[in-house]
Amino acid sequence: MKKLTIALVLTAITVSACGGATDGGLVVYSGRTENLVGPLFEDFTEQTGIAVEVRYGQSADLALLIQQEGDRSPADVFISQSPGAIGLLAGENLLAKLSDETGALVPVEYRNTSREWIGLSGRVRVVVYNSDLVDGSELPASVFDLVEPRYRGRVALAPANGSFQDFVTGMREVHGDELTLSWLTAMDDNESPTYANNTAIVQAVARGEVEMGLVNHYYNLRALAEDPSLPSVNHFFEDVGSLVIITAIGILDSSSDVEKAEELVRFLLSPRSQQFFSEETFEYPLATGSQATAELTDLVDLQVMTYDFEDLSGGLTRTKELIDASGLEAP
Amino acid sequence: MRVGSKHPDSKLGLDRSAAGRLRRFAGWVTVVVFIFPLAYLLWGSMTINGGFLAGTSVDTITAPLARSLLLASAAAVVGTVLGTSMAWLVTRTDLPGKRIWQAVVALPLVIPSYVGAAGLRAAFGQGGLIPWVPRPTGFWGSLLVLSALTYPYVYLPVAARLGGMASSLEDAARLLGDQGSKVLRRIVLPQIQPAMLAGGLIVFLYALSDFGAVSLMRYDTITRAIFASRLADKGTALTLGLMLAIVAIGVALVERRLSSRGDHVVIEGGRPRMYELGPLRRWAAGAVGAVVAMALLAPISVFVVWWVRGSLALGMGYSGLGESLSLLVAPARNSAIAGVVAGGAAMVVLLPAAYLTARRATVVGAVSNIVIAAAFALPGLVIALAVVYWILQAPEAIAGLYQGFPLLVLVYVVHFGVQSHRASVGAVAALPARYGEAARVLGAGSTRRFFTVDLPLIGPGVLAGGGLVMLSTLKELPATLLLAPIGFDTLATRVWGASEDGFLSEVGVTSLTLILLSGFLTWLLVLRPTKATALQ
Repeated sequence: MKKLTIALVLTAITVSACGGATDGGLVVYSGRTENLVGPLFEDFTEQTGIAVEVRYGQSADLALLIQQEGDRSPADVFISQSPGAIGLLAGENLLAKLSDETGALVPVEYRNTSREWIGLSGRVRVVVYNSDLVDGSELPASVFDLVEPRYRGRVALAPANGSFQDFVTGMREVHGDELTLSWLTAMDDNESPTYANNTAIVQAVARGEVEMGLVNHYYNLRALAEDPSLPSVNHFFEDVGSLVIITAIGILDSSSDVEKAEELVRFLLSPRSQQFFSEETFEYPLATGSQATAELTDLVDLQVMTYDFEDLSGGLTRTKELIDASGLEAP
Repeated sequence: MRVGSKHPDSKLGLDRSAAGRLRRFAGWVTVVVFIFPLAYLLWGSMTINGGFLAGTSVDTITAPLARSLLLASAAAVVGTVLGTSMAWLVTRTDLPGKRIWQAVVALPLVIPSYVGAAGLRAAFGQGGLIPWVPRPTGFWGSLLVLSALTYPYVYLPVAARLGGMASSLEDAARLLGDQGSKVLRRIVLPQIQPAMLAGGLIVFLYALSDFGAVSLMRYDTITRAIFASRLADKGTALTLGLMLAIVAIGVALVERRLSSRGDHVVIEGGRPRMYELGPLRRWAAGAVGAVVAMALLAPISVFVVWWVRGSLALGMGYSGLGESLSLLVAPARNSAIAGVVAGGAAMVVLLPAAYLTARRATVVGAVSNIVIAAAFALPGLVIALAVVYWILQAPEAIAGLYQGFPLLVLVYVVHFGVQSHRASVGAVAALPARYGEAARVLGAGSTRRFFTVDLPLIGPGVLAGGGLVMLSTLKELPATLLLAPIGFDTLATRVWGASEDGFLSEVGVTSLTLILLSGFLTWLLVLRPTKATALQ
């Protein structure tokens, strides 16, 4: 027992000595998980010799952490699963401005106006449906159709989830607060069941627990990769319902190594990395000239809307107020 | 046979020896450390977004708060009944297959509640493994998951207590003509009551702070409001967190009052009495089996299915399997280190406070009892942000600890300390005064008295508490993600990363590893040493 204790204490000391950033390397706080981005950091280190240390977590939690850390943040780079979290940091002037050269790597609609963050890849909002329970002719063309009585109780939402909130923010930009609030309220009146997150909705739809649900396109493709027998199918809207949710990257204003950080940003927008996003993670690459895989509907054909959070008064906070006011949260 | 009254020192008043002073000093240090998250919440909810509740209407909070309280109370009752019955059957009866049950009944504790909830939802109902059982959902679904995953918080300390009680009093009562049920009520129940209450309190606080299970079960509690507003409206999130803390303080006060009732006789020495179940033996085994099937077998089956199905579909052959397992070695090692160090540290750090609380003679004993409980009612994210806030205000020497391993351990100890504290309080309160008095008369110093008299007697209870902290640490997520040394992956962070983006086969294999590792550590560090001392 004593030996065991001593061994554990020694291990603990060794582990604690390993903490902290490596000199000359980059520290990344990543809101997207290791499965979806980890291999690219290894490639980057191999190619440039710059070490990268990554802290993975939920985008919102990491944004809160950076906000709390302020200018003492050990992080150089933040990757956010959606624009809401990184937009919050941009709004508080915690992000450095990217160079013209880096900004030019994507079409202008995939970064924010003041170039504090830039899109890496995109996920599209869709309605996922159970093909055993829903006939193709019943599928909505517009997200506004879902308030009709024929969809009563059949369409699941995840109002506490970041990507749903970003979608609502996008709807506000396109259609204004008033229409957005009335849509949210109508969805609540239409007895739309609420779920925890995208994965929970896709699983519920695949099991036939609920017939349809509003999610990002990625989750069903992932579920099908793990179990091809599932009856869940993605359907794209022809309007703001199929908004692109951008995975965004930004450099912290407090970073002591902005040049290396920009090198990483450019690397993640290089053809090789963009191909990784489209082939390995089923997402839309956003760099100019990159191509989505054949299995994905073309972004251009989708008439998708993109948006700029900073143009929107109140941003995420106002979105949250509208969702609260609609009554959608209550089960 | 020794008979002694409880709370020996309370009749002596304040302990004015050097050891007593040192203990009180340690107690106040504990209070200061544990009060940091509360202080942050208080400060944050007053200053962010225009002050206390500025951005929130009271109406939107009352219903979720009521639901939180209802769920937490129900979970505490169910968890206490389950945990106590299981502890009784496993430690004091001729239940068939006892050795197996002993090894597995505590394990549901390590399944993170969001994984457990997802597992149970996938196990039952249309499209699930067992379609004819309704899918758990809403209040009842949340209650099912939370009580199935948290009854070990009651089971472990009660089993430790039951296993350490000598048979003499029970034998005497029987000789005087009391029937079995009366012996249980008059002799056994009063002795395990503090452990039951303490365990029930922990289940209550766990259910109160849980977000994972309730969100997947679609039951709208106060934690959902905290989660949904944490980024867009941080002031509200902190205010709601403060409410959880206030509830926790109230409940901790009630628990203290309840467990102080009566002056129970405590007997030490000899082996515990065993009861024969007779014709009920099979039924009892069936009941224990049913609980384990629901809490452990159902989620494990789902994990296996996810793992196998995903591996087949993704075309992972033998080499792929080997690779996926080898990736789990480092996280498993990190989890084991974090769990064992946090469990060990909690036992040591909280022992002085436990003495003070158990002896009831000091203010610091009462205050630490409350603040330690409150720290467990807060979501891990809130604790983590509080630590970030305070540590980065500190001078460079202390701020240098930020995101280092020792600080992470401190966070675990603060967050889960109540589990160790309550178990130790129970053990210390059960110490017979005579031993200590005899040793004092014989001239033994306080240090020597502690190591030779107290420690062997309180050992099993203290160790059970450390075991709970270890198991809780093994599944901890939000604080680990934000505060662990960078790159310090644990099995829990791996499970989260995989489940976040729907890598179900990875969720399956990693969760199975987590359960196996926890079972092994519990056996190695809690069950085996306890058995060894019991046989001495």
